[in-house]
Amino acid sequence: MKRLVIFGIPLVVFLLLVVFLFNGLFSDPRALDSQLKGQPVPAFELPDLMSPELTYTPEIFKGKVTLLNVWGVWCVTCAVELPYLTELAKQQNVNIVGLYFDQDLDPEFGTKTVSRVQQEVREITGRFGNPYQFHIFDVYRDTALDLGVTGAPEHFLIDHNGIIRMHHIGDINQRVWLNKVGPLYRQLREEMTRSGEAE
Amino acid sequence: MRLLIFTVFIIVACSALATDDSYDFDTPQQRQSFLTLTEELRCPMCQNQNIADSDAMIAHDMRRKVYNLIKQGKSNDEVITYMKSRYGDFIHYQPPVTPVTVWLWLTPLLFAVLAIAVVIGRRKSVPPEDMTTKLAAAEKMLEQNK
Repeated sequence: MKRLVIFGIPLVVFLLLVVFLFNGLFSDPRALDSQLKGQPVPAFELPDLMSPELTYTPEIFKGKVTLLNVWGVWCVTCAVELPYLTELAKQQNVNIVGLYFDQDLDPEFGTKTVSRVQQEVREITGRFGNPYQFHIFDVYRDTALDLGVTGAPEHFLIDHNGIIRMHHIGDINQRVWLNKVGPLYRQLREEMTRSGEAE
Repeated sequence: MRLLIFTVFIIVACSALATDDSYDFDTPQQRQSFLTLTEELRCPMCQNQNIADSDAMIAHDMRRKVYNLIKQGKSNDEVITYMKSRYGDFIHYQPPVTPVTVWLWLTPLLFAVLAIAVVIGRRKSVPPEDMTTKLAAAEKMLEQNK
């Protein structure tokens, strides 16, 4: 009995520790639980990047399943994922909207003009593909902060009621789409058709 | 002399860097709470830095937000709640006590209690009578060897 205690307890403690640390090996410290999952998109009123006279509010997400892509031309990974996103938009008809924010356009000491930003965006999308319906221009990066964005690229799957259903930090490639984002996207599309039929 | 000028230049250059993010406050209390909050809030991009230290864009934006909220007269707790509602408990270096995090405080206590129990248990296992007979036997052996 005493032997069992002397050898058993450390063994159990050791095994628990192994399980705990083994899980730690595969956990991504940047994958935070989004506070906004299941919440409506926070209120905003922002201009279109290409035609600033247009104004958008969260109403634009109603009636469609949207993949909101937070990006900027200064972000290398964003450029890397553009070809794949373009493929998704063309082949699977995914409704992709850009939430654009600029790094150099400092709200307090800004020197960059909007036309310069527009030109940079055109250059990049011309080179790597343009999956976007339009770009919401987050001028002061306030909406990005409200959304809990930590950097770029980040993605939000928004259902037809304007509710955020997934926050994906990092790029979307084939693997991520097939395993994580795609299945939920299809589910949201089905939810939309079903609610359309019910009405 | 040349060294002195050089040193002065370095100092001026450093202070110029430090005031890069200079913010004006109405009261010294506001400045103090800005300094406390930027020390306590964690940068979601560079996770081992607070937003006062980090140079990531998100840290710049969060500092600006903290500044604006303080200017609006928000208390420290209100600013922390504001950030937590966007980035989760993770954003504050002081974790809240929940059923999951309570083990951070309980585990050291458990270990201390366990250690004390082991020490007390050991002390009891040595019977004093046994010791006296052993001492007598040892005394006898010493006598014999003389």
